[in-house]
Amino acid sequence: MKLFALLLLLVAAPASAHDAPYSFLNLRFAPGGASGTLTAHVVDLAHELPGATPDSLLTPARASALGPGLFALLASRVAIVGDGDTLRLSYVSAAPDSERNGIRFAFAAAGASLPYDVSIEARLFPYDPQHETYVNAYVGDSLRNQDLVDARHPQVTFTTGAAPRFRTVVRRFVAAGVHHIFIGPDHILFVIGLLLLGGSIGRLLKIVTGFTVAHSITLALATLGLVTPPARVIEPLIALSIVFIGIDNLRALHGGAGAPDRRPWLAFLFGFVHGFGFASVLRQFGLPAQALGLALFAFNVGVEIGQATIVLAIAPLIAWIRSASSNAGRRVAFAGSLVVGVAGLFWFAQRTFGL
Amino acid sequence: MYRFCLLALLSVAAPASAHEYWLSTNTWRCAPGESVVVRAMVGTGFRGELKPYTPKRVVRFTFEGTRALDLLPVGVNGESVWARVTPSDALGAVVCYESNGTYIELPAAEFDRYLALEGLAAPLAARARLGAAAPPGRELYRRSCKAWVRGSDASRITRAYGLPLELVPDADPAAASAGHIGIRVLYEGKPLAGALVRAWRRPSSAAEADSIGPSASARTDASGRVSLALAGEGRWLVSTVHMVPSPDAKLADWQSTWASLTFRR
Repeated sequence: MKLFALLLLLVAAPASAHDAPYSFLNLRFAPGGASGTLTAHVVDLAHELPGATPDSLLTPARASALGPGLFALLASRVAIVGDGDTLRLSYVSAAPDSERNGIRFAFAAAGASLPYDVSIEARLFPYDPQHETYVNAYVGDSLRNQDLVDARHPQVTFTTGAAPRFRTVVRRFVAAGVHHIFIGPDHILFVIGLLLLGGSIGRLLKIVTGFTVAHSITLALATLGLVTPPARVIEPLIALSIVFIGIDNLRALHGGAGAPDRRPWLAFLFGFVHGFGFASVLRQFGLPAQALGLALFAFNVGVEIGQATIVLAIAPLIAWIRSASSNAGRRVAFAGSLVVGVAGLFWFAQRTFGL
Repeated sequence: MYRFCLLALLSVAAPASAHEYWLSTNTWRCAPGESVVVRAMVGTGFRGELKPYTPKRVVRFTFEGTRALDLLPVGVNGESVWARVTPSDALGAVVCYESNGTYIELPAAEFDRYLALEGLAAPLAARARLGAAAPPGRELYRRSCKAWVRGSDASRITRAYGLPLELVPDADPAAASAGHIGIRVLYEGKPLAGALVRAWRRPSSAAEADSIGPSASARTDASGRVSLALAGEGRWLVSTVHMVPSPDAKLADWQSTWASLTFRR
């Protein structure tokens, strides 16, 4: 019986670091800077202090004495970034928190203005993969964001509701536009499909301009809430536009040199549909009401940069192949158009029937 | 006695991922106008630590009385008090909580040990077939908890509330006369056969800091029913876990659902 009791005690020891692997980060933004508290469990803190026992940290004198060093260590594992600038956290005080069985560190961070975009990344106790940090961010007295970070999701991002600065909006939405073009194979394939038949610089400019003008119009209309067709209609239509480009290329190849080149018109026509697709992405980024026009413009610029990058990479390559051998140029255009058409069909089926 | 000790030993030897999770309330009797404070605990052997609230994990958090109150927006991230709610009658209420999945990965041997401890025969057998090639345990676990704040209408605890894994007693388990209690185990609304159901009792005299062994345990029959001897005063925790192959193999290989029912007699 005693043996069982002993075994019970032995195995009852925590299997992980401990049973309350939690820390708490409260951050308060105000004009002129931020302040906050970071509360960590004494078991985790003792792990960082060789020889220290957890309970010994729970006296005010000990917490205060160890506070600056422990805070410096923890602060090195937290990155709070406002509008691209990392906040420098300065230690204010440390005191025991009996309810959370930990030490609560108070800190401050000077800053010129209230940031719009905030990102918080925390890996406070990497030795414990189960550790979770509860993050609450306030603007004044208003709770703006509550979240949880852990080893698998160490970062949270949010907006404070403050008026965004010009450079913040430009940086954020240009990047979003570029990103959207490059993560969306449908837009990439649509643009490539338009380039496969080659053509003069003037012809390619007409195609790209037609697409840009059209998608800019619908992007603006949808972003401003004037026309908002549902994604379940727009997404299959985008896929169909890709199928259509593939088929039209094959038609033009079959017709030979005399076949009319309808690409500028098709690019213009389908550009309206793609613009609605861009708008649904833009809305997901949380548009700043105070800088709607700028965000829209910056996103469009990003889309154009992404699109121009594809054109500059693909158009010279196709021109080179065509100049080396017109037969090879035709074969590439034929095979490429088939790929474009089949991929478009696949996306259409996927988006329409949920395959 | 030895059997009891072995059960106790097994229950507290579980790895971190195998912790029970249960709801705790400041009062276990419904009284109109008297506020019910809801907290959650995580631990083994019915010895738990407070689990902070986070809306990020919540799929459902309701107070089921005369009508269902959505408690999700009530709690504040990181607070140990999940909700304070005032019942409108004395008929009883069930606090329901369902979480989304949390990922955990355990080394193969530790994962197998945990499956054995929790009586999860099917995944254990599936892994045994792989032999030495069995990979580390990649698991998404979710919680599915109920707490019974007793009232005069027992039907409020004997009906199912649509949780993914649910323990549904046939009679009011908090009634003083309750002895053997029949419990239905439902998984996605259907009876679950072969599930190991365990019950822990913390008598009023037991220290909070001590782990205790289960007072009763049994597997459900083909109709998903089990009968447990739940005699004695104190707080009770009834728990079961079910594991299936993960619906999304990219995220994890296994998905476990942990159900609990807490009440006080």
